[in-house]
Amino acid sequence: MSNIPEDLQYTEEHEYIRRTEDPTVVQIGITDYAQGELGDIVYVELPEVGATFSKMDVFGTIEAVKAVSELFSPVTGEIVEINSALDNEPASINQDPYEAGWMIKMKIENPGDLEQLLDSNNYAQHIGE
Amino acid sequence: MKRTLIVETEGLAGHENMRRDYLLLQAAQEGVFFFRLYRWDPGCLSFGRNEPALRRYDRALIESLDLQTVRRPTGGRAVWHHHEVTYSVAGPVSKFGSLADTYILFHEMLARAMTRLGIDARLAEKHGRTPGLESGPCFASPVGGEVVVGDRKLIGSAQIREGNAFLQHGSILLEDGQDVVSGVSKTAAMRAQSTSINAMTETELSFEVVMKAIADEVRNTWPDDWAEEVVPEYGSGMKLDFTDSQWTWRR
Repeated sequence: MSNIPEDLQYTEEHEYIRRTEDPTVVQIGITDYAQGELGDIVYVELPEVGATFSKMDVFGTIEAVKAVSELFSPVTGEIVEINSALDNEPASINQDPYEAGWMIKMKIENPGDLEQLLDSNNYAQHIGE
Repeated sequence: MKRTLIVETEGLAGHENMRRDYLLLQAAQEGVFFFRLYRWDPGCLSFGRNEPALRRYDRALIESLDLQTVRRPTGGRAVWHHHEVTYSVAGPVSKFGSLADTYILFHEMLARAMTRLGIDARLAEKHGRTPGLESGPCFASPVGGEVVVGDRKLIGSAQIREGNAFLQHGSILLEDGQDVVSGVSKTAAMRAQSTSINAMTETELSFEVVMKAIADEVRNTWPDDWAEEVVPEYGSGMKLDFTDSQWTWRR
């Protein structure tokens, strides 16, 4: 069974969204289920701070076991921080996807985007758990 | 699901081979399943999409030797493509399942095709973590699920998933020339742990014989009708330009 924390929100594309102390900023990564499906992660390509994305835009790519997959922005907004530690330690995404393996922080443009995300129960249902 | 088998017996430049594979990925978004077999002429060194080629390989030496280079849209590490048959498959993700399922499905099919040629090929078992992008050429080490003979790698593959479709392609070595990769490496490269079809068979097999064995196994595995066509010219807005040295040497 995958780890699906109750205090996070999710997308059908297997990103999670964690609210931060700043109500306009969210932290984003991929779920425990996603890292398990991908296998050993060897590289993650993240955007520059200041880049802007619309909801469902591709914001980066992730490589695992010689396969490259896209990462989708769950909200519209601007990148305000990236987890540069992943440059040297991409395996953190496998080992600790919800803490050390976080990827980006985004300043959200439309708070309504958050209302359309899945809660932990709905995400568990989505992945058949 | 429409199926299209493309067999190209004339070799093409590396950038054109990658352009065609990437076109198949775009076309697969519309639900078509493609299987393509092709060759490279002249030989070409390909880098994985995210491989740190500038750090690992001697660009000046590569250019002085007049070796062609290209960066693949897929992951993995460097491969020297010359005396090989290359396969590519592209299809809708919904029909083929997870990344691992797809990898295994096509490798099992390719192992059966090698059996048709009298080669005792099987899939490698997974041992430990997958090697990182800094760990030498593709054929330096098999990862779990790749096609090996004994403990040596015969087929190296890589994959990309975009939108609703995937592209997986890989090299099936007729002759083992992977030492070219370590020859242009800046660092102490791991030597290739590769083998080749012609090292495993009593008589040398031609490209055409190997392509036919694989095409026969493709039709045996998916026995429905296959259209035999050329690569479609889908769309003009390719996201990647494989002739662009900025892409090839982007990192």
